[in-house]
Parts: sequence; structure tokens; C-alpha cells
Amino acid sequence: MIRDITIGQFYPVDSPIHRLDARVKLTMTFIYIITLFMINSFIGYFFVIGTLLAVIKVSKVPIKFMLKGIKSIMLIIIFTAFINLFMTRGEQILWQWGFLSLTLEGIFLALKMCIRLVLLIIGSSVLTLTTTPIQLTDAIEYMLRPFKKIGVPAHEIAMMMTIALRFIPTLLDETDKIMKAQQARGADFDTGNLMQKAKSLIPILVPLFISAFRRAEELAMAMEARCYHGDENRTRMNRMTMQRRDYHALVMGLVYIVAIFGLRYVSYLLPFII
Amino acid sequence: MKMVKAEGLTYEYIKMLETDHGTEEEKVSALKAVNLEIEKGEFVVVLGHNGSGKSTFAKHINALLEPTKGTLWIKGMNTKNGELVWDIRQTAGMVFQNPDNQLVATVVEEDIAFGPENMGIAPAEIRRRVDEALATVRMQKYATHSPSKLSGGQKQRIAIAGVLAMKPDCIVLDEPTAMLDPVGRKEVMETIERLNKDEGITIILITHYMDEAVRGDRVYVIDDGEVVMQGRPKEIFSQVERLQQYGLDVPQVTEVAHFLRMEGIDIPPDILTVEEMVGALCQLKLTT
Repeated sequence: MIRDITIGQFYPVDSPIHRLDARVKLTMTFIYIITLFMINSFIGYFFVIGTLLAVIKVSKVPIKFMLKGIKSIMLIIIFTAFINLFMTRGEQILWQWGFLSLTLEGIFLALKMCIRLVLLIIGSSVLTLTTTPIQLTDAIEYMLRPFKKIGVPAHEIAMMMTIALRFIPTLLDETDKIMKAQQARGADFDTGNLMQKAKSLIPILVPLFISAFRRAEELAMAMEARCYHGDENRTRMNRMTMQRRDYHALVMGLVYIVAIFGLRYVSYLLPFII
Repeated sequence: MKMVKAEGLTYEYIKMLETDHGTEEEKVSALKAVNLEIEKGEFVVVLGHNGSGKSTFAKHINALLEPTKGTLWIKGMNTKNGELVWDIRQTAGMVFQNPDNQLVATVVEEDIAFGPENMGIAPAEIRRRVDEALATVRMQKYATHSPSKLSGGQKQRIAIAGVLAMKPDCIVLDEPTAMLDPVGRKEVMETIERLNKDEGITIILITHYMDEAVRGDRVYVIDDGEVVMQGRPKEIFSQVERLQQYGLDVPQVTEVAHFLRMEGIDIPPDILTVEEMVGALCQLKLTT
């Protein structure tokens, strides 16, 4: 059961979005997230939703995979909606009970916040569903490089991410083994209240941690034996190269930014369309 | 020039002991004045039971440990010389026991590229070496797989490929088959033998499996940090009682031959394989 968890949610198909340079995708996702917080009108959201749907269509990833991410943050969305609905002060009070009041402004604000959160999750899912974890770590290493001067350990961060990704399945396997071993000796993980359940995890966590440390030590030695000494004079087998399609994508991203600013301006001029 | 030459190689470390009077320090000698020489292209087996110091010796060859006393030269390079560490590690690659704890990357070919990448080799050359190493261990099919989906034997072959991509002259394997099933063990042993015969790579195999030790050109037996026996497998394994004294088994057929000799049956003491045993027994029938 525990082995079935997939790491990274990469959806392996061949699409123009999959083929894009991970750095471009990372930049675009970043821009996309910023614009989500700049938009202040429903027209703006319609535009973003339209763009997002087009991108998803091109990526060939079934939309239900995109929506999976929303399920996990449903609680946050509901909570946000509730707070915004009843806590927003406004002039057109529709309903009031104690300190809770329902206003027209509140309804709009709640709606916008929910759309924002949903778009945020779906947008970042597009990135993780179309990019392999390695491409993503390589891109992060590359993008962090300029910050090295101010002491950001770009290479080390990327190496840590790679090793974490490499060892997640190994440690999951190990957890499974330890659980079975403890169950064989009569451990009970499923009954009791929350406190008891938490306590029953200790016999799993202690051996798991000990073995993780042992693995770390052995891995460090194996890495040293293979001449690892940080990123000094280190080369890479697969270099990231920008293709023509990557530049096209960047231009489209620029158009997108201009459009967002344009819509912002339009909604100032015509406030009645909200 | 000798591939590996050790002169009075000694390694000591301080062990902390928890006693009733607090912690006490105890000096432990893992290696005691080891002298040995390994020629280029040899297949040398280092035998010893757990805690005999054989792994400590392996780590010295890779300059992961520095000798307390004595000297160790790898292809003429002194392992005490800090500047030569990377050259030594490139010359003498190392494969460890646990296949899981020596693979770094999430994709097989990226992992094989790890060593050459650290050495600062040009990308096109790394690509070439990775493909070559994959072909040598016969794992081309798995180039883009995730290591976590492979069997133990396959993982160990990837680890060997990772060392091969660094173009070493010598590979030290520290109990590479100890955690594998019989199929994986066979795969790894075949790969090692092929590297030695076809590529001319010096192999130093650390093991406690006798059937593996039999395949070497020469055997060193280490006990309690000292080299106690050395010679060709036949010379070593015919001394059944002495080996048992060092906590080692002999190959099953050799043990049978030993017992037969004790019963007064005249067959050679240095039988290592079933085929040899069959031959010797048939010979016996002919003469009587």
C-alpha cells in the first residue's frame, strides 16, 4: 500500500509543454502566480482561466489530474471563503447575525479569493505534471545561481533535492518493512485515540531515523569515493539549452503580462463590469 | 609499477567505551603492519570474517582512510598525499556493499554520469562514457529507469558502471554481493570477471564467500588486522583446518575432499569445484 505513492506527479506524455525548457516553465509559473495577485476584476480571471485551459489542452494532461491537487487544499479554500464571506465589512449588508455579516463586497471578495487559490494550485500542477523532478531541480539550481554571491548554496540545495527524491522510495519501502516487523511482534497502529496512535508511531520512527542516518553516512562515503567535492569544476552530462520553442514561449509569456496589465487598466476605467 | 603496494600499513582508531566509571578510551588497531603487492590486471581476493579489518583495508585503497603508520601506494601515488586524493579515487574506484546507499541520482544514466561530472569532464565525453559503461554491464535497456525500480543485482551493476565511467585502472569491491540473492550474486560476479578478463581492470574483491574467492588469481586472508595467509586459491583452500581457525569456511567440495582424505581416501586436497571433484573421484575408481 505504502509503495503505491507516486513521487512527483509527472505525467509522461509528449507535448509542446513537456518539451519546453524547465527554466522557462519555472519562470512562467512564477509570473503566473504574481499576476494572479495583481488581477482585481472578474474579466481578468476569465482571461486567466481561458489561458490556463488552453495551456492544459496543449499539455495533453487530462484535466482531472490537474483537479486532484485541489482536493488536498479543499479545507483551506472553504475556510478562506467562510472568513471572507462573513468577516468583510461593507455597505450593502444583506444579512447579519451577531458579529457575522453577509455583505455584497464579502461575496465578491470570497469568490475572488477562491478562484485565486484554485488557479494557483492548478497552475503549479501544470508545472509539476509536465516537468520531471530532475529537470525541475536542474532548473532551480540554474535560477538560484545568481544568488550564490549573497551566499545562497544553489548547488547544495539542488543536490539535497535530488538525494531526497532518490531516497523517498527507499525510505518508504523501509517504513513498510519496519511496520510489518513491528506488527509481527504485536504492535497495533490502527486502534486507540489520537494520542495512542501517535505513540504507536514511535517504534516505527526510531528505527527509521537510525537507518536514515546510517544510509546518509554510507552515501556520503560513496559520493566521496566517486570524487564528489561540491560544484567546484563540476560539469553536467545533460546541459540545458534554449530552443526556438522556448523563446516563442517566453514571447507568449510577455504578451500574457501585457494583457494582464491591460485588463487591470480597463477595469479601472469601467468599474461597473467589476 | 605495482597497482597497489602496502608497506607496514597500520590503522588505529580510538574507541569510546561506556563503563561504570564513565567513558574510557581504547586504542583499536584495525590493520597491523600489512604488507602486500598487487600487480596490474590481477584479480585479487581479500578474505576475512566480520571485523577482520578487510573493509578498513578497502577504504585505504580509495584514500577514504589515511594510514596511521606505514605507507600505501596506488599506482605509485602515496595515499597520504592530500593533493593526489582525487587522482587516487579516479584510479581506484570503489563499489560498496549496500546497493541502495551508493546510488545518488533518480535516473540510472544520471547516476553513472555522477563520477565523470565530478571530475569535470566535457559533456559529450561523459555521454560517451555513460553509454559505454552501460553496455559493459549490459544494462542499456535501463538507462532512463529509476534505480529504486531495479533489483539488487541490477543496482550493483549500475554502481559498477558508475565506477567504470571514471575509467579506473583498478576497482575495489567491498562485499558487493553480501546483500544480494543468488541470481544477483551471479550477475555481479560475471560482470566482475568480465571486467578483469576483457577490460584488463585490476580487481580487488573483498568477500567472505568462498565460492567467489575461488575465482581469483590470488587470495589474501586477513585475520584481526593481519595478513595471515596468501597464495593461489588452490594453495589456500587446501589448508582446511587453518582456514577454519580464522573463522572461515572452505568451499563445500573442498571440505568434502578434506573429510574423504581424513577417511584415508587418496584424492588431491586442492579440489575447488564440483567438476574437479567428479574428475578426481572417477580417477579414483579407475586406479582401484
